[in-house]
Amino acid sequence: MSNLLEVRNLNVKFRIDGGKIFEAVKGVSFDVPTNSTVALVGESGSGKSVSAMSIVRLLPRETAIVSPDSEVNFGGLNLLAASEQKMRDIRGKEISVIFQEPMSSLNPVFTVGDQIAEVLRLHTNMTRAQAWTRAEELMAEVGIPHPKSRMKSFPHELSGGQQQRVMIAQAIACEPKLLIADEPTTALDVTIQKQILDLIAKLQAKHHMSVLFITHDLAVVGEIADHVVVMQSGEIKEKGTAKAIFEAPQHPYTKALLSCRPSVEKRPRRLPVIDDFLRPEGVNQANLIERKRGYTADDKIVLEVKNLSKHFSMREGFFKKRDVPAVKDATFKLARGKTLGLVGESGSGKTTVGLTLMRLHEATGGEVFFEGVDLLKLSENDFTKYKRRIQIIFQNPYASLNPRFTVGQILMEPMEIHSIGKDTQERVNMSMALLKRVGMPEVSFYKYPHEFSGGQRQRIAIARCLTMKPDVLICDESVSALDVSVQAQVLNLLQDLQDEYQMSYIFISHDLAVVKYISDQVMVMSEGAVIEVANSDDIYLNPQQEYTRKLLGSIPKGWQGVAAPAPISA
Amino acid sequence: MGAYVLRRLWQMIPTLAGVMLLIFVLFNWVGGDPALVLAGKITNKEQIENIRKQLGVDQPSYIQLAYFGFEVATGFTCTWRSYTEKPTDSPKPTADAKADTKTDTKADTTDAAKAAPSGCQAVRSWATNEEVPKILTSRIGPTLTIMIPVLILETVFGVILAIGVAYVRGSLTDRMIMMVCTVAMSISFLVYIIVAQYYFGFKWGMFPVQGWSDSFWKNLTTYAPLPILLAVFVGLAPALRLYRSFFLDEINNDYVRTARAKGLAEKTVMLKHVLRNAMIPILTNIGIALPGIFVGSFLLESFFSIPGLGREILVAVNRSDFPVIKAATVYLAMITMLINLAVDVLYKAVDPRVSFK
Amino acid sequence: MSAVLTNTPTAAPLHQASPGLWTLAWRRLKRDKIGMVSLIVVVFFLLLMLGSYAGIVAGNWSKEVGVSYANPSFMAGAENLDAVKAKVDANAEKIPYVDLSDIDPLAPRYKEWEERTAKIKITETPRSDTLIFGGDKWGRDVLQKAIKGAQTSILVGLVAALFATVIGTTLGAISGYMGGKIGDFLEWFYNIFTSIPYILLILAFAAVFSSSPSLAPYRGVPMVVAILAFTGWTGIYRLIRSEYIKHASREYVKAAQAIGATHSRRMFVHILPNVSHVCLVQLSQHVVQFIKAEVILSFLGLGVPVDSVSWGTMLAEAQSELVIGKWWQLAAAGISMAILVTAFSMLTDSLRDALDPKIK
Repeated sequence: MSNLLEVRNLNVKFRIDGGKIFEAVKGVSFDVPTNSTVALVGESGSGKSVSAMSIVRLLPRETAIVSPDSEVNFGGLNLLAASEQKMRDIRGKEISVIFQEPMSSLNPVFTVGDQIAEVLRLHTNMTRAQAWTRAEELMAEVGIPHPKSRMKSFPHELSGGQQQRVMIAQAIACEPKLLIADEPTTALDVTIQKQILDLIAKLQAKHHMSVLFITHDLAVVGEIADHVVVMQSGEIKEKGTAKAIFEAPQHPYTKALLSCRPSVEKRPRRLPVIDDFLRPEGVNQANLIERKRGYTADDKIVLEVKNLSKHFSMREGFFKKRDVPAVKDATFKLARGKTLGLVGESGSGKTTVGLTLMRLHEATGGEVFFEGVDLLKLSENDFTKYKRRIQIIFQNPYASLNPRFTVGQILMEPMEIHSIGKDTQERVNMSMALLKRVGMPEVSFYKYPHEFSGGQRQRIAIARCLTMKPDVLICDESVSALDVSVQAQVLNLLQDLQDEYQMSYIFISHDLAVVKYISDQVMVMSEGAVIEVANSDDIYLNPQQEYTRKLLGSIPKGWQGVAAPAPISA
Repeated sequence: MGAYVLRRLWQMIPTLAGVMLLIFVLFNWVGGDPALVLAGKITNKEQIENIRKQLGVDQPSYIQLAYFGFEVATGFTCTWRSYTEKPTDSPKPTADAKADTKTDTKADTTDAAKAAPSGCQAVRSWATNEEVPKILTSRIGPTLTIMIPVLILETVFGVILAIGVAYVRGSLTDRMIMMVCTVAMSISFLVYIIVAQYYFGFKWGMFPVQGWSDSFWKNLTTYAPLPILLAVFVGLAPALRLYRSFFLDEINNDYVRTARAKGLAEKTVMLKHVLRNAMIPILTNIGIALPGIFVGSFLLESFFSIPGLGREILVAVNRSDFPVIKAATVYLAMITMLINLAVDVLYKAVDPRVSFK
Repeated sequence: MSAVLTNTPTAAPLHQASPGLWTLAWRRLKRDKIGMVSLIVVVFFLLLMLGSYAGIVAGNWSKEVGVSYANPSFMAGAENLDAVKAKVDANAEKIPYVDLSDIDPLAPRYKEWEERTAKIKITETPRSDTLIFGGDKWGRDVLQKAIKGAQTSILVGLVAALFATVIGTTLGAISGYMGGKIGDFLEWFYNIFTSIPYILLILAFAAVFSSSPSLAPYRGVPMVVAILAFTGWTGIYRLIRSEYIKHASREYVKAAQAIGATHSRRMFVHILPNVSHVCLVQLSQHVVQFIKAEVILSFLGLGVPVDSVSWGTMLAEAQSELVIGKWWQLAAAGISMAILVTAFSMLTDSLRDALDPKIK
């Protein structure tokens, strides 16, 4: 098998603030064989996207420096040394790219038909009419319903999945030899992700393209890749066939990546983390023992929610208002020391449930009983003393800590508000102890949030909640923005804290595997309605509802032995 | 869309009422008793009391406000100002418009006002006794003769230059041009006018120093060019800076990377993809500037003796000619609101994401 | 690319006090050469203003130290017809002296008066033919006038910008954070001000303020400040409002709400420090804008009174001087203003870059 693309000794640096230089990619070499899919895998900052973008020279001109001895050979041509004119001929025709955010990657003021036709008119001799007809065929090929009328739509009129299909249609329009897909499914819901992955695999086989697939998600890699390149901090840690990487990983980092992501099948007591693989003694086998989950009859219920609903009103026409239901009659119970998982796709209302429970949104109707009191009926004043009992950890660790506060101020604030601890000294001591408990050095107390990474910030956010010793902790997509290795650490921390303090969690996530791992009971939501509530093992093994089955069926299965040839007709 | 326009028109009512309230509070309360302002140096209590009656300021404020509303709606003022006065046969001749001595003018006007017949008549200037609606409509022509070309030239040159500068962003040329713009913006408009009028008009005689005629074409070709060029020249630096920033904002968007990934040349990327998107904030900006063209550049109008609205307002301010200022403010506020609505509706044409809700 | 930047190791020594965002912004500003030069120029002007306020510099600006339209020292040789004419005129007055002592009952006292006058004349310093940057019609030193004018213009610009920022920030914060009925009311209030073209709004305020008998004692600097502040707050309001709306929905504010922080605590302790850089940039930008506006208002006679001096009144005098070829007052006012405003604008740009939270 010959190589379509050979990357040799790629070095990329960035000029960053203050005249400093940051080495993003350090001496990376890999091949993309003809007619195959190569996955470039790594966590954020691994340099995977930078490597891919330097192949087509789409890095920001002002700041990126590609070392002169780097080479990217494509059909006998070193792309890094080719003329700008030559590169323009190659981009879109020989090598196309699809990006992570389909919404912002399409030009908002042109119709999607125009945007697909544009690339055809540029690289072929088609007339306007021919290009338009061909674009329509492409729209049909990527599975957009009613392509004729959709051609005249603007990007914002399409759903996220359809937008990504348009991007793909645009990319394959000129039958490129190489398709670079930069995290093409990360911004999409799991069911849509499955469709897009299937589409890419189908097109790859049909058009005999090669695909360079960039992703952080090994489960996705297992589904589509023939070859895998694992990167970390700008370097390649391991490369090989998918079979070799998944079945016999050599590098500890690869091993860690493979095992620290929760899977639907297994539920170890603690998730292995990278450090476990770097230690000579390896992973502690005691931690891998299966953990039993589920509500039992003698569980004490701390929170009981009945018919919770929330409507948002939107203005429509002249004076009219329309109610948009975000949550419809949600009813569930939360047991002490247990975790309730809330899963659903975007727009399912799962986050609204969490915010409404804490009265960060005012509920439209329903009851929330906590220790026999309906929290929703309390006055603002009476509710204040319950606030510390229910706390929340948000998704974005970069936005949830006040950037102008030191970590010390962040931790002390809730204690001051709720008069926890008798004086400042005691509060300082408690803060220090909590920092230690969440695995942060005490010196963090004096630092500002911008000095910490995402995972560390999430630990600080957890410590802030712990200052109030809450009974219920709502984790709103709290680990979704984190890299898998960090995700495992934070999940382990949450589990340890639950075991220690007997807190109850409401764990909100779009990630079915994570929810399965951490939850005792799972509630599936769709379009504001509760579809199904059951113990997590039951729901995963024996889903009762069609929607739940569809959702579970979309979870990337990861490596399933020798990759079956991609289905031609999907 | 009909519903949207209706709703917007409906929403204008409270705003317009607010504008009138602001004007009323400003001119009747903040400034003290308007009668004293009109009276000028007259100290005779009886006379001042008469003026108060004529102006209606002896009435409770809500009635005054109602009168003001009526004046705005009709352009007429009615009998309250003279209901205690005996009607005389004819109003006294109007004060000399050119009289610059404030007190004289005012004393004359006061007499004229006192002598006004009962019934309704158009709101008149305190200074010249001219009918205010006539003043406004007759002054708007010269102002627009200057300002419409200014707006067009400034936008066209601003956009073209901004694309050019954005294209070479970060280069020495870019930085030099931006530096020159900053310096150019730091020199007072007054200095530009004084110097330009002196050299181009007075010393070198390339343009008339000042003046205006009755013929539109003569105005446009003879008297307007220097003021227009000055305004465009001075307005270009800030426009260029602003438009450049709009282009740079767009250049960092993901769709630009997509366009490059398609193999489009940088020129096409700029002139097709980026320009089309940058036109949205540029149009917003023009929409904001549009109502301003009615006031025009009052400085240019006074330096070059152009009988426009801006100069008229300035003269009125200097003479404390309240009726003219009040009328100009309220009517221009109305025009501004309507223009804003028109711009918002036109928006749909440039930005497909806009929906009328 | 943000992923690349966030992974940059922040190499701070462990036991050193941690730099806050302001410290980091200051470090960035210090690296910006143009920003630092601008800062030095601005500080120089501010010191000049303080010095002139305290009477250390330009204390004698109103003294008629030179001949009328004294030439600048660097062009001392140029003829000064006006000064010569003035001298000739002065001499001419003395020539037609007719002795009327016979019929004048006061004649015996003339001698006495003349003596007295002579004594007074001795104390008067001789008028100089040239001044550093020339003289005006009354022979006052143009350079000193420009410094004194700077004092007025900068003072007006600074104070008015400060007031406008306070008004705009307060209303914007309330409107953006509270929303609802209060927000609607403030939006209505804002719409009133913005539906009147800005120039017209200023002129309307100026007309009322300057013709009001009751406000007469405040004419001059306080009145210009009031006019500019009351009309110029709207842009700041708009910006701060949208910042507050943005921040109020940020997770750190939601988290503060979750831990039970009160509304005022969220508004002022949590959000305000996070939008304060916007206020600072706006303040700086409005100082520039208001200095320019003050110059125009004073030029039109709606600003500072005739007996004090600002760059605007200097330009008003300069207009007629230019026609007789006396360009230096125009140059002095125009150039000193251009230098300050250029420096201030560039400082504003540098501040904006240094304070931009996106760059980390």
